[in-house]
Amino acid sequence: MKDYNIIGKKVPIVDAELKVTGQFKYTDDLKLPGMLYAQVLFSPVPHARIKSLDTSAAEALPGVRAVATYKNSSRVKFNSTTRLRTQEWISNECVFDDTVRFVGDRVAAVAADSLAIAKQALRLIRVEYEELPHYVDPVVAMQEESYPIHGSSNIVGKICQNAGDVDKGFEESDYIFEDTYTTPAVHHGAIETHAAIANFDAKGKLTVISPNQNIFGTRIILSRIFGLPMSRIRVITPGMGGAFGGKLEATLEPVVAELARQTGRPVKLTYNRRETMLSTRTRHATVITIKTGVRKDGTIVAQDLKVISNTGAYAGSAMNVVGAMSNKVFKAYKIPNMRFTGYPVHTNTPSAGAMRGYGSPQVFFAQQCQLLKISKALRIDFAELQIKNMMDSDGFDQRSGKSIGNPRPKDCLRRALELKKNWEPLSDEGGKYSIGVGMALGCHGSSTCDAHLDQVCIMIKMNEDSSCIMYTGTHEMGQAAITAQMQVVSEILNLPLHMIDVVYSDTDVCGWTVGDFSSRGIYVTVHAAKKAAEAARAAILRVAATMMQEDEADLELGPNDVYSKVSGKRVERCQVMDYAQQVLNEDIICSATYHATDSPPPYGVHIARVRVENSTGKVEVTDYIAVHDVGKVINRLGAEGQIEGAVHMGIGYALCEKIEYDSAYGKARNNSFRNYKMLKASEMPRLQLDFIEKYEPTGPFGAKSISECAVVPSAPAVINAVCNALGIEIKNIPYHVTEQ
Amino acid sequence: MEKIELNINGEDVTVEVERNWTLLYVLREILNLTGAKPGCNTGDCGACKVIIDGEAVNSCLVHAVRVQGKAIETVEGLSINGKLHPLQQAFIDCGAVQCGYCTPGMLMSAKALLDKNRTPSEDEIREAIGNNLCRCTGYYKIIEAIQRAAKMMGEVKVE
Repeated sequence: MKDYNIIGKKVPIVDAELKVTGQFKYTDDLKLPGMLYAQVLFSPVPHARIKSLDTSAAEALPGVRAVATYKNSSRVKFNSTTRLRTQEWISNECVFDDTVRFVGDRVAAVAADSLAIAKQALRLIRVEYEELPHYVDPVVAMQEESYPIHGSSNIVGKICQNAGDVDKGFEESDYIFEDTYTTPAVHHGAIETHAAIANFDAKGKLTVISPNQNIFGTRIILSRIFGLPMSRIRVITPGMGGAFGGKLEATLEPVVAELARQTGRPVKLTYNRRETMLSTRTRHATVITIKTGVRKDGTIVAQDLKVISNTGAYAGSAMNVVGAMSNKVFKAYKIPNMRFTGYPVHTNTPSAGAMRGYGSPQVFFAQQCQLLKISKALRIDFAELQIKNMMDSDGFDQRSGKSIGNPRPKDCLRRALELKKNWEPLSDEGGKYSIGVGMALGCHGSSTCDAHLDQVCIMIKMNEDSSCIMYTGTHEMGQAAITAQMQVVSEILNLPLHMIDVVYSDTDVCGWTVGDFSSRGIYVTVHAAKKAAEAARAAILRVAATMMQEDEADLELGPNDVYSKVSGKRVERCQVMDYAQQVLNEDIICSATYHATDSPPPYGVHIARVRVENSTGKVEVTDYIAVHDVGKVINRLGAEGQIEGAVHMGIGYALCEKIEYDSAYGKARNNSFRNYKMLKASEMPRLQLDFIEKYEPTGPFGAKSISECAVVPSAPAVINAVCNALGIEIKNIPYHVTEQ
Repeated sequence: MEKIELNINGEDVTVEVERNWTLLYVLREILNLTGAKPGCNTGDCGACKVIIDGEAVNSCLVHAVRVQGKAIETVEGLSINGKLHPLQQAFIDCGAVQCGYCTPGMLMSAKALLDKNRTPSEDEIREAIGNNLCRCTGYYKIIEAIQRAAKMMGEVKVE
């Protein structure tokens, strides 16, 4: 592969120095002059009509500036995950409603001079509820006789996908396996909780500052709620303290904007951990039934997947997540006959939304665990079974026959097995432990183009001294997409990073982009940065050619000068910029829009070794291998970091993370970090990771994505290791010995 | 309200506080030192860690009135005259910073460790950051950064 200056290198994330000195300003760190503080009153019941609502005492409290409820607020229904103005997605949420649909649903919000007054005011709001039937379990909620949470049925929709003839495939199979698996709702666990600041200025323009992965989509939502043209709304994300999909959807933004509208003052709302867990988003819990037909030699002939997903109270991500799940499964194996049927179902639990993997962790958990069972039944080595069925490098989408780029799951598996040879033997300490090794495959996508338009516009403005500013609508949440874009600008413009600054995620300043989800940071946004930088490079060389009276094609861009490869003539880069400004009277501002028409799946194979303490059943993951097919690594620190974080999230998904809902009261039992278990440093395994870098023809520099894919194989690898250690089948995660 | 004197990063500051205000609240809301982060307010995530008399402490659990006369160190005091502390430099170079929200707390836990133990084992490092949650890194690069900083501090004397 070509040798690059900075592409593929270890580059620290943009703003790292601000972050280590405590100077980086996240939303909650900001204060505006005259700012009010908001608090939200949450429903204590899972499903009820509001019979009466009296806010008079709260309003009378000195220092209270507004109490917003369904009675005095916008009642426009919206879909909290909207991306395009033309999308007609199911919209059944509003800022406040006269019906509450989960414990944690918004009843009212107060804006006051201080947080203490706002809290005091909440206690003065009197609400009477007329309770309605409630459901925590989607399997119950979807039954015809269940009371509808919206409309006439709790089934939000049906998603069907098909390849080949599944029924015929089962007839041709030697063995058929059918199993049902369940996965829990989990919390994203970004260390920064949700927050938002809104202000209507004197000319009536609304500015919202919040950690949000989807600024342009949020602008559409706010435009609908408040009936404002987009020119009167500005959404800014200052950088997020982690998101993982949890900040994709508009949650606090409409509330805080409504309070700003009512008060005419800037208003800040920050949820604490309990409130974030109670009232924002979770990963979809699922019940997955998977039926697989195989030949004696291990060839998978047919697979039928039926998924019931708990989408919670509102439909924001209901169809999208199950839709995305349905797309991924057709790209992992050469299974000619495959069918997917998915039902997102409303229940009276918090809305489920996007979360890293976007449907893939659930479905691959079921598929990978059942595959282990099949390999045991057929007495075929699991790796051999995988290799037999995995997509080849000329693989295609099993539904359409369309190319999926350069898929390399087999290379991942082979490399992972090589790395496994580095493991030291692990002792069972005289029978104290049972030891097992598990493996799993996962894949994901690289853009949103399977679901809807994926497009991004990046702009570069050159300065007189030849430094530049990049304007990108991309959102910074630790994933290093902006860092990767800057690397590309640095590479193509031959400028050191300190000569490039960035303005990001501001709807007034940056070109339009789809939000940062679908692992599109590298594959899509880096592509746009490359196009914009190439345009800027061409513009600089065009000016230099005029100035030097040389042929443009002969010119090269050096770090400090432009020179002719033919005549050897050279001028300083800043002189070229001066010439553009003062002689040609031009400003060099270049923008480029990239429209993704492919979403080549990245793949990952993970191998986990666990030891289970026989006396207690406690599982410890001791060793871990993760190998990912990414096309080309753009930033090694970033790519490694994505995998390392995903391993943390995946092991938690397998073994300890779950929001527990009490079915009688419809209430979560563990809305705090005290009771919701995320892994600590001492609980992480020894890790080996590696990349398969085989050029992806449609990707920038040959790259495809990494971030979400990295979490997909993790939970099934761990669970398969536990199954092997104990000789059991596990069908429900998280796996705790007390619950199985 | 009550007037108290706090010693923060070597400077004495006088603030008026309510008795139930936490140190985290006073740092962020009164003194505009927003480096310490509110991740949970229950002492479970460590994003708000500061060092009080040499110990890394969750500032969300400490009332400001109780820490008068004690030496309080926050992330804002870690670099000296614009020169990054070896821990800060190592966090940047190793890629231990992703979203950065846990970073100030991690740095303070790590500093409290290295102030007492310049040659910590990997297990001692894991233990020292045992009350700090990170969702981005799996802790790997954070541990590597602390090891690198320890090494740097062994080689270069830091005031």
